[in-house]
Amino acid sequence: MLPFLLSRRSLLGGLAGLAIQPAQAQQVDIARATAFVNKAGQDLVNAINEPRLNTAQRRDKVAGILRTAIDIEGTGRFILGRYVRQASPAELQEYLKLFDEIIIRNLSARFGEYRGVKFSLGRSQQRTEEDALVSTQVERPNTPPFTLDWRVAEINGQPRVVDVIAEGTSLRLTTRSEYSAVIQRNGGRVAALLDAMRGQITQLAAREGG
Amino acid sequence: MNSSPTRILGAAALALLLMAGCATRPPADDPEALQEFRENNDPFEPANRVMFEVNEAIDKAVLQPIAEAYRDVLPKPVRSGIRNVLGNLRAPTILTGDLLQGNVTRARETLGRFIVNSTIGIGGIVDVGRRYDVHGHSEDMGQTLAVWGVGEGFFMFVPLLGPTTARDLVGFATDIYTNPQSLIGQGQILDVWNYTRLGMTVVDTREALLEPFDMVRKTSLDPYATLRSAYRQRRIFEIENREGPGGAVAPAGGVGFGQGVMEPQ
Repeated sequence: MLPFLLSRRSLLGGLAGLAIQPAQAQQVDIARATAFVNKAGQDLVNAINEPRLNTAQRRDKVAGILRTAIDIEGTGRFILGRYVRQASPAELQEYLKLFDEIIIRNLSARFGEYRGVKFSLGRSQQRTEEDALVSTQVERPNTPPFTLDWRVAEINGQPRVVDVIAEGTSLRLTTRSEYSAVIQRNGGRVAALLDAMRGQITQLAAREGG
Repeated sequence: MNSSPTRILGAAALALLLMAGCATRPPADDPEALQEFRENNDPFEPANRVMFEVNEAIDKAVLQPIAEAYRDVLPKPVRSGIRNVLGNLRAPTILTGDLLQGNVTRARETLGRFIVNSTIGIGGIVDVGRRYDVHGHSEDMGQTLAVWGVGEGFFMFVPLLGPTTARDLVGFATDIYTNPQSLIGQGQILDVWNYTRLGMTVVDTREALLEPFDMVRKTSLDPYATLRSAYRQRRIFEIENREGPGGAVAPAGGVGFGQGVMEPQ
């Protein structure tokens, strides 16, 4: 009975997934998700605390780890939300390119400042059918520890981070509000968001000095 | 004729508000836009954005420089002590919230911390409770109303208080009105004390927000929308009592800028 139910459910789930979003994430194993976050987190901490690297090298190293750990395209599509369908194929392609650059620059700049950072796994829990929330505690010298939750989904057979949630605030939800507001306040044009994103990259690059 | 700067500012703000008007509801044939409109629940968005800009101007001219000077001048232990004292003074409000929400465990923690911190902790300067792993938490009437099932109501941005909602603003007013200190009576000494406490709370809160605010201004394409979203999410987190042990008792309580306050850096 049970295998039958399971197979039927996965079949139905598969069909529904196909109908709505072809690249929908598969169910993620909680132990696998936790191990994945632990590995990615340790890699990040090691890169941030590596004394032989200068700031630019450290940023590149952190960016490289983030690129393999985060499902950037899926997250970018989630954030663009309903405007994915309104954007022309060229706009969507450019959006994903700009989003990749912004998210990596922002996160590497932020994590790069966390010298002396330590992190430990907290309680883990499965949240929905598609993803797992892995909770971690981040500690830095002279600052109180804070909770960072990683939402992990199975993307093309690999666990990938689809969201980070700092003390209850989800990066992808906040960014979705932000991008949607930019589009709406500019007559519903996705092109206006792309302009704003390009401007931001210029600023970020100027601040980093390169 | 009275033309004090506050009066002129107030009149200007009011005029801007009237000019700004209300947000336009999307047409009924766009269900996704309509859903987003409902989720944002920000019918006075144009006016709120004006208030946000007013707050930005006041902040950059006055509050941020004061908060930076405060951090530069006073060493961390002193600022920690001040935050602890201010947080300890909120214990009656927090205890009321714990009890009204029927959370006996948290009420006992709050009461125990208040007694120990006020005595052994020398009037709340030292957070003794934290050293014994009894960490502080925040409660306010807005959270209690939410636990009772009151919806959050429309979003508002109030200069100096920050992002809030109709429910949380009512809760905030209730907290002030039912503060035991307002029952003691009136008098010059009490007035001075209350203004000192208010001033210290504003400075302490802004100091706690130096990095987060800087980050939002630097990285967000629309800081107003970012704050609106972050406020809502953070508020749910607090209502569900999911705070980790890193938080401190936020001296500013349930207003938008009082959220997620940590120990001073």
